[in-house]
Amino acid sequence: MDAPIVEFRGLETRFGRREIHKGIDLSVRKGEVLTLLGGSGTGKSTLMRMLVGLETPSAGKILFEGQDLTDLDDAAWAGVRRKVSYAYQSGALFDSLTVQENLAYPLEEHSSLSEAEIEAKVMALLGRFGMGDTAQLMPANLSGGMQKRVGLMRAVVMDPDLVLYDEPTAGLDPANGRKIERIIEDLRASGKTAVLVTHDTWLARRVSDRLAIIVDGRIAALQTRGEFETAPAPPLKAYFDGEID
Amino acid sequence: MTATAPAPAAGLSRRLPRTRSFLERLLTRVGGRLIARCEELGDLTLLAARAAKSVATKGIEVSVTVEQFMQLIVRSAPLLLMAAGSIGAVMALQFGLGMSRFGGKLYVPTVVAVSMVRALGPVFTCLLLAGRVGAGIAAEIGGMTVGQQVDALKTLGSDPIHKLVVPRLLVLIVGTPLLTLLADVVGILGGLAAGVCSLGISSSLYIQKSVAAVKLEDIVVGTGKTVIYGFFIGLIACHLGLQKIEGTKGIGVAATRAVVAGSIFVMLADLVITKLSWILRW
Repeated sequence: MDAPIVEFRGLETRFGRREIHKGIDLSVRKGEVLTLLGGSGTGKSTLMRMLVGLETPSAGKILFEGQDLTDLDDAAWAGVRRKVSYAYQSGALFDSLTVQENLAYPLEEHSSLSEAEIEAKVMALLGRFGMGDTAQLMPANLSGGMQKRVGLMRAVVMDPDLVLYDEPTAGLDPANGRKIERIIEDLRASGKTAVLVTHDTWLARRVSDRLAIIVDGRIAALQTRGEFETAPAPPLKAYFDGEID
Repeated sequence: MTATAPAPAAGLSRRLPRTRSFLERLLTRVGGRLIARCEELGDLTLLAARAAKSVATKGIEVSVTVEQFMQLIVRSAPLLLMAAGSIGAVMALQFGLGMSRFGGKLYVPTVVAVSMVRALGPVFTCLLLAGRVGAGIAAEIGGMTVGQQVDALKTLGSDPIHKLVVPRLLVLIVGTPLLTLLADVVGILGGLAAGVCSLGISSSLYIQKSVAAVKLEDIVVGTGKTVIYGFFIGLIACHLGLQKIEGTKGIGVAATRAVVAGSIFVMLADLVITKLSWILRW
């Protein structure tokens, strides 16, 4: 679990005059779930979006499996995006496709599997997460929690090396939140590396191997879950106590 | 003495910053808008280039393109044909009533046919498409942008330009001239109906005069220019939909801007092309 799969080195980000990151140094180890915490607007999601090329840093480096992501062309990004997947806060399902078609989309675009193999794989995935009966439904017919679960499934259907979870339980009732948590735990148990951005302190405590918090554009604290449970670093403690918003 | 001496200087210094700040504000506002428009033109050019590259390297997604053709062109036809028929009939009535005073009623078929084919058919078709289709494209793609579906396309390894922009542009490039031809025919038929029913012109004479009036170059110029208009209506709408949009209000703004910008483009471009065709005697 020690080899880093992702490294942020001296990362700085500015949007106009607004400085988001003032020098982020952080690494994500292979096989771990690293949770990024911090107040709203501190650039947690922006960091994850940089890992799939949706945002560009102003300075610094991002290394994924040793490859610098700050200077890639479209073809090189295509290779990275096959290994890194993003589970969006809203689910981001294609609303003109059924659940089954949404899950099949990445496989149809990027694998050499036959239609029958794709269907079998999609149905197996839906069955594994207890959503087999939703295959033919349109996203508009799903609840918010179901949309997020399908979004999570679509993110892992290509068996990526790194999964990025963006607020997976935001706006969900406790029951749906627990279902999402079980999916993340299930994927963690299968050795999938993940970065989780969340404001859900319960979820962070349950699924994280390490917890990091961004304060004033920098990583203010980074601890393993064990360290946090025994002696929480002051910024993390302040966040969990609701003193940082 | 010491109390009164600095007064004029202080008054002057109070006025100077105000003047400078007004000029600064004016220049900032005008300059800022100019720069923003130039940037948008650059973005449009870049989008067009990326769409062309996408077609050249990845080809065309036939099923999506056919679906878009049905959505954008076929479903626009009923409204457009209704408008075209009504415009043709109104033109015939107006010209007929005016010209009958001078015994020029028989010129009505010629005037209606040439006006429809060279100017009114193309412009009305494109203005209607800028409204219906431009707003629809900007709102649909804008909705996908807000719902992170465009981001999802990118992160799932697809090119949003290839999936969303190229099919719509192709459909508008091919479909706009087709709709224009249809609008021309229906407009002339509308004129025929009004000419026969209200002006007492025989149908065979009306058709004969219409056919004689319209030359091949009228059809070529009239429909040919709509290829350009259709392309830009689609390009502007796609560009606005793909911008960073925040919330549902942003979708509405993008749709409105698509209609306004598309309509202004059609009217200005038509003015330029009409003037050019006069100069070059097309």
